Amino acid sequence: MAKKILIIEDEELLADLLQKKLTAAGYKTFLATDGERGLIAMRELAPDLILLDIVMPKINGLEVLAEIREDKNLKKIPVIIISNSGQPVEIDKIKELGARDWLIKTDLNLQEVIDKVRRQIGS
Amino acid sequence: MPKKNKKTEPTSETNIALLNILEDAEEEKQKAEEEKKKTLSIITNFSDGLLVFDKERKLSLINPRAENFFDLNGRDVIGRTFLDLATFPTMEPVISLIGSEMSEIFRQEAKIKESLVLEVSLISIIGGKERTGALIVLHDVTREKTIEKMKTEFVSLAAHQLRTPLSATKWALKMLIDGDLGQLSSGQAEMLEKTYQSNERMAELINDLLDITRIEEGKYLFKPILTEVGPILQFVVRSYQEEAKRRNLDLEFKRPEEKIPRAMLDVEKIRIAIQNLVDNALKYTPSGGRVTISLHCSKKNLEVAVKDTGVGIPPDQKERVFSRFFRGANVVKMETDGSGLGLFIVKNIIEAHGGRIWFESEEGRGTTFHFTLPIKEEFEDFLKEL
Repeated sequence: MAKKILIIEDEELLADLLQKKLTAAGYKTFLATDGERGLIAMRELAPDLILLDIVMPKINGLEVLAEIREDKNLKKIPVIIISNSGQPVEIDKIKELGARDWLIKTDLNLQEVIDKVRRQIGS
Repeated sequence: MPKKNKKTEPTSETNIALLNILEDAEEEKQKAEEEKKKTLSIITNFSDGLLVFDKERKLSLINPRAENFFDLNGRDVIGRTFLDLATFPTMEPVISLIGSEMSEIFRQEAKIKESLVLEVSLISIIGGKERTGALIVLHDVTREKTIEKMKTEFVSLAAHQLRTPLSATKWALKMLIDGDLGQLSSGQAEMLEKTYQSNERMAELINDLLDITRIEEGKYLFKPILTEVGPILQFVVRSYQEEAKRRNLDLEFKRPEEKIPRAMLDVEKIRIAIQNLVDNALKYTPSGGRVTISLHCSKKNLEVAVKDTGVGIPPDQKERVFSRFFRGANVVKMETDGSGLGLFIVKNIIEAHGGRIWFESEEGRGTTFHFTLPIKEEFEDFLKEL
């Protein structure tokens, strides 16, 4: 069965491209466009991996990450942060909150994102 | 004021002479009084704060501006010793900045409170051959600091905002190029490839901007670990091989013969520094040339050299090479792209490691950039000095 990936990203085009690429790579994808919906979705879906943006409306990525960590069912799910910030303070915070990996969107191309996903959960 | 007694007839010339001398002395005294008043009014109304210490390091003068800065009354502090003044919370930052030796400093910053940053200078007062006191000048730079901070925050914010649409463009273009959304004609593919490259350059420029704002914010990521510099050099050289081939240049890493000790390095930043140097060398070396990277070790330092057979740096521009936004007049003609931030960033990275960077260059013959990185023990001393 195809592995489930939950994308939490408010930028429509980025989310769309991610979904297309991940689907083509054989994953089943779901999209939430803000942190609040993201939290609801991950409780229902129990995804194999979460791709999480940081700057988002309502509940931001850091808050989502903190909540995942507090929940014993959710905290087993690997989270990859996709952000544009890359500020050292932020990266420290992300690592502290237990994210598996983080990446700066402009620095990587989509294939590299897929590679990172594959490294975490396989095909 | 003694007055000349007009009724008294001068009895002798001696008397007249004496009176004249008295009159002169009186005039001099008056002049001196006036001078003193003038000086005092300058000191009182001076827009900078002033503190004067005597030979015994006791405070002998504080002007109203300084009283204002420190939020205290001159009466309470005059006559106290320099170190004694540290008991006043507002003065403590200045006292500890200067230190018990009271050595000369020039324009160093002390934060007095949230809304007050002073630039402090200490000048020795010399009488004859010895030091008879010290003058401390306090200049309010709060406004400048605030503006500087706003500028940095603005650039940082703008850069983040700019990255988001760029990521979207980057990913979309890449998918099109890769044929994920259907096959392209060769003309379409070529145009999209060029668009992609432009987009990449823009992203690099924004990264550079972010890097310098971080340097300015003092937040520059700096996490040194004990490691070898060789593999970093090798990695960079390998990643630039294709580019070198494309430009018909020979790019080589000369492996050191001696064993190179490990050093405390922020791997990511050192990689950025080396990349910048190699990137410059390749860009500004005409086809058929050679770029050589070498590594040596002395007692206290590792030394890396990046040598090219490129266009060189014009002699009249050598001083500005490491300043930000500088680009050599000759290189602008060769390559219009470039932010002029690379070497500024490199210098900051090397100096943050306690190293030194310099270069030799001859126009038309080539340039060699050298930088040093201290070995572990030296690095620890460097940190202590910070």
